[in-house]
Amino acid sequence: MVDLKNKIRVLRNNFDEGLAKAGDKDSLKDLRNTYLSRKKGRITLLLKELKDVSPQERPEVGKQVNEFKGYVAQKLEEYAKKLEEPRYIKSEIDLTLPGKRRYRGTPHPILLYKKRIEQIFLLMGFSIEDGPEIETDYYNFEALNFPPHHPARDDWDTLYLSDDLLLRTHTSPVQIRVMEKKKPPIRMINPGKVYRRETPDPTHIPMFYQVEGLVVDLGITFAHLKGTLECFLKALYNEKIKIRFRPSYFPFTEPSAEVDIGCTVCRGEDRQCRVCGGSGWIEILGAGMVDPQVLKNVNIDPEKYSGFAFGMGIDRTAMFSFRIPDLRNFYENDLRFIRQFS
Amino acid sequence: MKISLNWLKEFLDIRLFPKELVEKMNSIGLLVDHWEERDGDVVLELETYANRPDTLGHLGVARELAASMAIPLKDRKFPLVEASESISDAFDVQVLEEDLCPRYCGVIVKDLKVGPSPAWLMSRIKAMGLSPVNNVVDTTNYILFSTAQPIHAFDLNKLRGDKIIVRTARNGEELKVLGGDVVTLSQSMLVIADEKKPVALAGIIGGEDTAVTEETKDVFIESACFDPVSVRKTWKEIGIQTDASYRFERGTDISFPPEAACMTASLLTQIGGKALKGMIDIYPKPRKTKTVILRHHRVSELLGIDVDEGFIIDFLKRMEFKLEKQREGIWRVQVPYFRVDIEREADLIEEIARFYGYDKIPSHIPVLQGINLEVNRRKEIEDRIRELLFHEGFDEVVNYSFMDPEKEKLFKTGLDAVEIRNPVSLKASLLRTTLIGGLLGNIVWNVNRGAEGVHVFETGNVFFKKDEKYFERYSLGFATTGQLDPVFWKKEPEKSDFFHLKGTCEELLRYLKFEDFSFTVEENPFFEQNYSLCLNFKGEKIGFLGGLKRSIVSAYSIQEYVWAAEINLGSLLKKQPKPFEYSPVSRYPGIIRDISFIAGRDVSYQEIKDCIEKLMIPYLEDYVLYDRFWGKEMSKDKVSLSFRFIFRHPERTLLAEEADGFQEKIIKALNTEFGLNLRGGGQD
Repeated sequence: MVDLKNKIRVLRNNFDEGLAKAGDKDSLKDLRNTYLSRKKGRITLLLKELKDVSPQERPEVGKQVNEFKGYVAQKLEEYAKKLEEPRYIKSEIDLTLPGKRRYRGTPHPILLYKKRIEQIFLLMGFSIEDGPEIETDYYNFEALNFPPHHPARDDWDTLYLSDDLLLRTHTSPVQIRVMEKKKPPIRMINPGKVYRRETPDPTHIPMFYQVEGLVVDLGITFAHLKGTLECFLKALYNEKIKIRFRPSYFPFTEPSAEVDIGCTVCRGEDRQCRVCGGSGWIEILGAGMVDPQVLKNVNIDPEKYSGFAFGMGIDRTAMFSFRIPDLRNFYENDLRFIRQFS
Repeated sequence: MKISLNWLKEFLDIRLFPKELVEKMNSIGLLVDHWEERDGDVVLELETYANRPDTLGHLGVARELAASMAIPLKDRKFPLVEASESISDAFDVQVLEEDLCPRYCGVIVKDLKVGPSPAWLMSRIKAMGLSPVNNVVDTTNYILFSTAQPIHAFDLNKLRGDKIIVRTARNGEELKVLGGDVVTLSQSMLVIADEKKPVALAGIIGGEDTAVTEETKDVFIESACFDPVSVRKTWKEIGIQTDASYRFERGTDISFPPEAACMTASLLTQIGGKALKGMIDIYPKPRKTKTVILRHHRVSELLGIDVDEGFIIDFLKRMEFKLEKQREGIWRVQVPYFRVDIEREADLIEEIARFYGYDKIPSHIPVLQGINLEVNRRKEIEDRIRELLFHEGFDEVVNYSFMDPEKEKLFKTGLDAVEIRNPVSLKASLLRTTLIGGLLGNIVWNVNRGAEGVHVFETGNVFFKKDEKYFERYSLGFATTGQLDPVFWKKEPEKSDFFHLKGTCEELLRYLKFEDFSFTVEENPFFEQNYSLCLNFKGEKIGFLGGLKRSIVSAYSIQEYVWAAEINLGSLLKKQPKPFEYSPVSRYPGIIRDISFIAGRDVSYQEIKDCIEKLMIPYLEDYVLYDRFWGKEMSKDKVSLSFRFIFRHPERTLLAEEADGFQEKIIKALNTEFGLNLRGGGQD
């Protein structure tokens, strides 16, 4: 009798082992036959042996055999279900193989940077305006208070199309165009291409991007100019950037300023620094209060309204930000370069 | 310009370390680009502004520093050794063009010994980065760099006649200038002439024949004021810019020529010459001092700070402005002659701000008021285009707007290209009429550097001329060639083809909701025959796409096929996209019917599509062509087309019989119209 109980235990172990090895439907079917076949199944045989058990013990042993039968049937069923589930066949594939890549287009770094600038100004409530790239002498120079034969024009090496038409040398003409069209309050930026007669070298290129800004309203002061540009530069770089306003000259602003940021590379500690030339400062923006003559040129009363304007080279700023040594990199359009700027 | 610290010390006591000096100068707008210590001196490279010619000499820089540090300028004396002879007896100056030469001073120094300059003078000249020439030339240069007043010395004995005439040149007159070049003069140019011919180009350069040499004994020293515009036009015309013309074209101090002449004479007598008594000073219309009204409240209004009245008065006086109080808080300010830039109140306010210190002005954010928020539509669409094209695997590029005329010829855009008068180079002398040239340049650049596939786009202007007017057209260009995806071990990567390009175009217009767009087959000089489509929207051609001509692609040394498109965004932006309206999604099951036809190969997909759409089948939700093939079992002129039709009712379950009816209608129509038959006798 003990034998039968022992037999059940051995069979149970054998079954468990067999089930663990069964890898597919066929081996499972074999296993089922081995144990549950109506003729020669091991459990069927066990049941047959039951009649040799003493009547006292028979109920208990019988219960054990039936339990075992139930166990086998259940396990087989569970396993069969499991086999039907979709599975990853581990042994056939090397999961360390590279995944599928797709080309995902990347923005041009200058335009990526331009967008960053635009977003900051949009947050500050500026509108974005457009202007033509072919300009008249009037918009590019005269309305901006450059007299016809003034040496200040030499600072803007101009590409001419005719006596009167040129490729805009800065985005400032858009100030005039916007003020002609709208009355104050005005708060706008204009990012766009500008052109200079420059032979390309690491720090000069004949076409680049600038962003122009203009605010005209009642009571606008130089303090507003400082506040706005500081806020912008901190957002563009970081909270801790050093910012310096220096007196400068532009025909269309008075007072005029240039804005420098502390050199992010040497922090003013290397007199041989290639980025800041050892001065510790990088010139980043030109700005100033809109010249009263410019306001008069667009029929805005300078006694009533005042404003500030600023202009920044996007390429140059991006160059410092990304630490790119040569401006020409931007216009070679080498995809190995561009694709880094996602 | 270069500024020597030792030289500055001739004018004022500076007890600052170079670094402190540089900071001081930067803070008042005298930007020092860099500086170096050299031979016991410190030389600063100063960036100067076009409106501040007074800072083009050490005196002007010293004045600024003196005002800023509140220390006085040193009093300088210019003793003369005088001869008994008087200049008015010996020489005469006649100014025929008062407007072009408002003031002309001259002195004569005789019995000079021309030779090397004394050591102190040589070191000054060297500090300016020049090589000393001789004591006379060095002296004139010294005065120029010291005071910003250009000085010219003529060899008196080489002048013909005892007379200088300031006149305009006669057309065709010639002048051999210093250095030996011969310049042909014209009537608009102001010259300094002796009785016979021009001896100098006024304010620009002297003549070789009357130049000071080792043999020179007596000199006539010119210290004048010339009209800035005239000097500028002349030097631009002859192409000679000098230290003198650089200063005259920016404007010089009209009160200063006598003093500068005196200084020059004094220095020349110190090296052995004797000055003739007196000075010639032709100044027929003495200029009044400029006066500007300054209102205290405007200073605060513009700067956003309250500047103390005492500061304003003190500082302006230190800067040699004269103030006359008119009323409380209002002054009449007299501008010193050396400040040619100060014309208006705003200019004075800048002076105040400059010396008050930009760093002391607080930072405020202006309050946003009454601005109508406007969305820039062009920008918005541009962003959406970029988004879509990035998704489609196109990289963004920016090319120069210039075009090589040789390349321009290839494209035959039909547009008249705009020429640049003074291009950077001949290869960049036109403005582009198409974006595709630039994109091809990008393709060849990248293919040569190992790229397996290049898919690029650019948004920007193209330019053209029409009826003497110039236009810029905002455009989108994109081009694709080679492998569509990076290599993958599991599957050979697909290559770009015409339908990739077309699919991108379709996706783009759909994404922007510019429906219904259409394509028409149209030959285009850009593209190979039968490989060119025109893109239309609302009856207007807004773009073209196709396979670029071999001749064009080869000119860029590209072997592969290149598929390219250009879309006129300017026109597209003027049109309204389909107003967006959401349509509810049906909750009922649809009926899908797959139907395969055998069609003649001469029947285009577009024709079939138009035919199906004309039927206006109700509840036809969508249909797609999911297979197209031809093969041995079909006759050569036939093709098999498999469509999947999806029928769905918005409010109830569609009945199979209804779908049968629609299906029959389609089959019948296609059969009648184009003789399409069902393949294999029925549905798949």
